[in-house]
Amino acid sequence: MEFTAALQKLGAYQPRSSPKSKEILRASLPLLQSGSIARRKGEAGWDGVETLMLAALDEGDVKTASDCLEVLHTKFQDSPRVDVLTGILMEVKESPKVALQYYQALLQEDSSNAAAWRRKASVLRQLGEIGEAVQELCAMLDTFYTEVEAWLELADMYSSCQQYDRALQTLSHALLLAPQNPLHVLHFAETAYLVPDIPLALKMFLQAVDMTDDDEQDGITPADTVPTGLALRSWFGVKLCTLKLTTEPRASSSASQTAPPTAAVLQSLDELVTERLRTAYLETTRESPPTAGPALVEAVAKIIPA
Amino acid sequence: MASSAVSLYLDPQIRDWVLFPITLVMILVGILRHYVVLLLQNPPKKQSKETIREQRALVRSQILRATSAFSPIAPTYYKSISQSLSQAYGDGSFLKDGPPKGEDKPAPPNPLTDPNAMDGMMAGMKTQMVMMVPQMVIMGWINFFFQGFVLIKLPFPLTLGFKSMLQRGIETHDMDVRWVSSLSWYFLNFFGLNGLYRVILGNDNAADGSRDMSTPFAAAAAAQPQPGQVQDYNKLYKAEQDNLEFSEGLYSWVAADVETRILKKYGRTI
Repeated sequence: MEFTAALQKLGAYQPRSSPKSKEILRASLPLLQSGSIARRKGEAGWDGVETLMLAALDEGDVKTASDCLEVLHTKFQDSPRVDVLTGILMEVKESPKVALQYYQALLQEDSSNAAAWRRKASVLRQLGEIGEAVQELCAMLDTFYTEVEAWLELADMYSSCQQYDRALQTLSHALLLAPQNPLHVLHFAETAYLVPDIPLALKMFLQAVDMTDDDEQDGITPADTVPTGLALRSWFGVKLCTLKLTTEPRASSSASQTAPPTAAVLQSLDELVTERLRTAYLETTRESPPTAGPALVEAVAKIIPA
Repeated sequence: MASSAVSLYLDPQIRDWVLFPITLVMILVGILRHYVVLLLQNPPKKQSKETIREQRALVRSQILRATSAFSPIAPTYYKSISQSLSQAYGDGSFLKDGPPKGEDKPAPPNPLTDPNAMDGMMAGMKTQMVMMVPQMVIMGWINFFFQGFVLIKLPFPLTLGFKSMLQRGIETHDMDVRWVSSLSWYFLNFFGLNGLYRVILGNDNAADGSRDMSTPFAAAAAAQPQPGQVQDYNKLYKAEQDNLEFSEGLYSWVAADVETRILKKYGRTI
């Protein structure tokens, strides 16, 4: 299981510079140069080499990454994990086309290598062949249904082509696989807002609120707390939906046949969400927030963490 | 009884040339066997993606059904997924050889003719051979050279019921049960050394003698879930269709009444 998880991680890898990777690079580079990195206890040592290699790629240090790969390759001759690492390095060093051919060869040899399959799709995406990338990813997910990350990537691809209803279908699979993750619910709601399917979006935003806000404890009711982070973003989405539903009569049509809330419910919801957003705004900026709908939305949009 | 306690003296040579060699040989053979088994085991065969797809198709509906009572997805999406899965199961499009043709269903293949299943069974047999042969050789060796030897005296008294266990190969009625014969020492080691192997070779070692007790077929069946019998996935899919239908009846959307829930949570009235 651990091995599968490691492969999944590699399949989803994208180079991204971060303080953490800088720190890893700084701390582990002397170890690699002295050759003692793998001599640490057992598997942790070899995992360390892999971590260092990915950190080096994050920072664009191709030389170190190649050294790491060489160390790993001499130790593990035909491990699928090293194969995928070789491919990742190839993507950076050579043209994507070469990497693509490499992944194709890998898949020809072992058609069940899910990590290589995912990387192939992501290389295709880099090359701008979104259609083919989507096809590959769909075929992969048809076989390896349980890879949540891949579903999210597919939804991202659909969203980038404005295929929001397709993205919604894709995200519903991610929701099924990880129903406990409020991030996915929020993602689903935001995509539904873009479709636009406002009643569905409103429900999902509220669901996200329900999952992210603080539960009642020590006598403090949720109404006394200040929404932050994900909860704030969900409240913001609720506000956008109520605003749309009250101002645009056509917004209540729903492709998924979700019933829009009754006027009374909508009214109370709007009051509640306005109060919530004003509390959050007051707490972060110490300024008195605007009272009206659209002005409030604009003001709150600035304080929402990206 | 006091006289019987000192009635027998063991030559120290028996200790040096019989007791210790038997123990040592058994430990070494166990370790050797562990490595031979490691050599004999070939890596598990890679499965093609079609096979994996066939095996995992059921997982999809299980995931869908797992949350159906409080499903995170809206009714239209639930229905579309549920119905498309049900249809795919009905058509058999998840089967690795494609949908079954016509009415005549192929008989489930005989496991003995399927080369893949054969491999799994052969591996089990090979392991069993490596287990059994050295044990038989050692037992023959002990029986041939040291038959009827008394090797050791246990430092604690035992009841008569242990006589058959501790004095195998010696047909005396009135000898104290504390004396252990050579063949019994072999059996004690055979079962007792597993702990030592676990210390030396790690938890998952192949030297563990207690596995010898099961038949090769049982061991092969236990080692791999289904090497022998081939699953009739088509049948499983058909059964899963019913389950899907059942879950559709149970389905409710977790967000169906979320507005009232939130309003209540924040103390608002509608």
